Amino acid sequence: MKFKLATLLSFAVLATSLSVSAYTSPGKPQGFVNDFAHVLSPQSKTQIEQRLSALRATTTIEVAVVTVSSLGDETIESYAVALFKEWGIGQKGKDNGVLFLVAPIERKVRIEVGYGLEGVLTDAQSYGIIQKIVLPAFRNNDFDKGIVDGTDAIVSVVKSEADYSSPVRGASTASTNSVNGNIVWVVFFLAAFLFRIMGSSKSWWLGGVLGGLVGIGIGIFFGFLFAGIIATVLLVPFGLLIDYIVSKGSGGRGGPGFWGGFGEGSSGSGGFGGFGGGSSGGGGSSGSW
Amino acid sequence: MKRTTIGIIIVAVLIVLYGFATYNSLVTLNVNADTQWKQVETQYQRRFDLIPNLVESVKGVMKQEQTVFTALAEARTHYAGAATPDAKARAAGEVESALGRLLVITENYPQLKSSDTVQTLMSQIEGTENRISVERSRFNQTVQAYNLKVMRIPSSIIASIFGFKTRAYFEAAKGAENAPQVKF
Repeated sequence: MKFKLATLLSFAVLATSLSVSAYTSPGKPQGFVNDFAHVLSPQSKTQIEQRLSALRATTTIEVAVVTVSSLGDETIESYAVALFKEWGIGQKGKDNGVLFLVAPIERKVRIEVGYGLEGVLTDAQSYGIIQKIVLPAFRNNDFDKGIVDGTDAIVSVVKSEADYSSPVRGASTASTNSVNGNIVWVVFFLAAFLFRIMGSSKSWWLGGVLGGLVGIGIGIFFGFLFAGIIATVLLVPFGLLIDYIVSKGSGGRGGPGFWGGFGEGSSGSGGFGGFGGGSSGGGGSSGSW
Repeated sequence: MKRTTIGIIIVAVLIVLYGFATYNSLVTLNVNADTQWKQVETQYQRRFDLIPNLVESVKGVMKQEQTVFTALAEARTHYAGAATPDAKARAAGEVESALGRLLVITENYPQLKSSDTVQTLMSQIEGTENRISVERSRFNQTVQAYNLKVMRIPSSIIASIFGFKTRAYFEAAKGAENAPQVKF
């Protein structure tokens, strides 16, 4: 029953997040290049993919090249904003992403620039790239050339400026990252500390009480009653269970040997691994041919 | 007897906790809407910063179109004098229609269309108009989230106790549904 409620809730959240506009997603990103309209040759695709992957490795800037077979009822501007938001191109906090979107059927093209790169790749520069590099090739039906050269132009603009990028910006994002890291460590040590107390105390109920308190805390923190109740209901037995386990396992001595069971999460091995969660606000330029 | 007292206490504690949680989320949603409105204003400001440049670069050629320049200047003054978000939105609508007219008129001057400076300015204005519409629709989404919380039962009870009121959506000024088209 509880499980059912949770499933229902997650569906409700999904439904509300999807019902915002008529935009239909082209799917999940498969890499930096997503040729949903099948207009690129395999060689160009690999070539661009390598270049963009290298760009991210050196500057953390993410450029996505996307062709779509249909924009639905959307304008290319609103489609680009929605796709950018869905995929989260660029690093979270830095918002250093660019979306190069081509709709061959509608004969529309757009460069959508993340908030963090608006000062680097300006509207006028995007306009210039589209008018002088991309559109002439597209008018000759040479999508390969237009997309490869256009991407190169975007990369050279954002790359040249990345060298000058102010250290202040980098420092501020680094500090927010370390704050997140600190929270993880605080939670970790707090948990270890509580386990120790529960382990050394002979009481069986302490874990349940702590679980309940944490649940109430979660409810207040997230400002959501049901989350709080569910968390409380789930955490009380969980706390009791943990108390039981650590009390038994430690034999009153206490200690973090319990943690051996948790493996290190392995990170991606140099692959694409998805975009970083950046956002955009309608900067860039569009064109049609 | 003792059991009922405990029951009442538990229910009372839950109600108070619910009150805290709802109050906090109302505050959060309200501040989110304020923040998003600031984003809209940032883009308005950007538009105003661009307009004088555009006017300077087209004025020489468009000598007989003084009325539109006057209208633009007046609308800017109104915006500068506007204090409330409502007044600002109204003044921004005026700027929008004057700017739209200027852009349409510009179409009639081939020598302007081929000018690099004008083209660059146009692309910047176009980008700004698009940013404005993106930030506005996000503003409306944040207002919607807040208004739902204020109006829906049971959070509406907490909202009325603490005096949270629904906020106004941004609505496009009459006749400004179509963003100014810039085509070269």
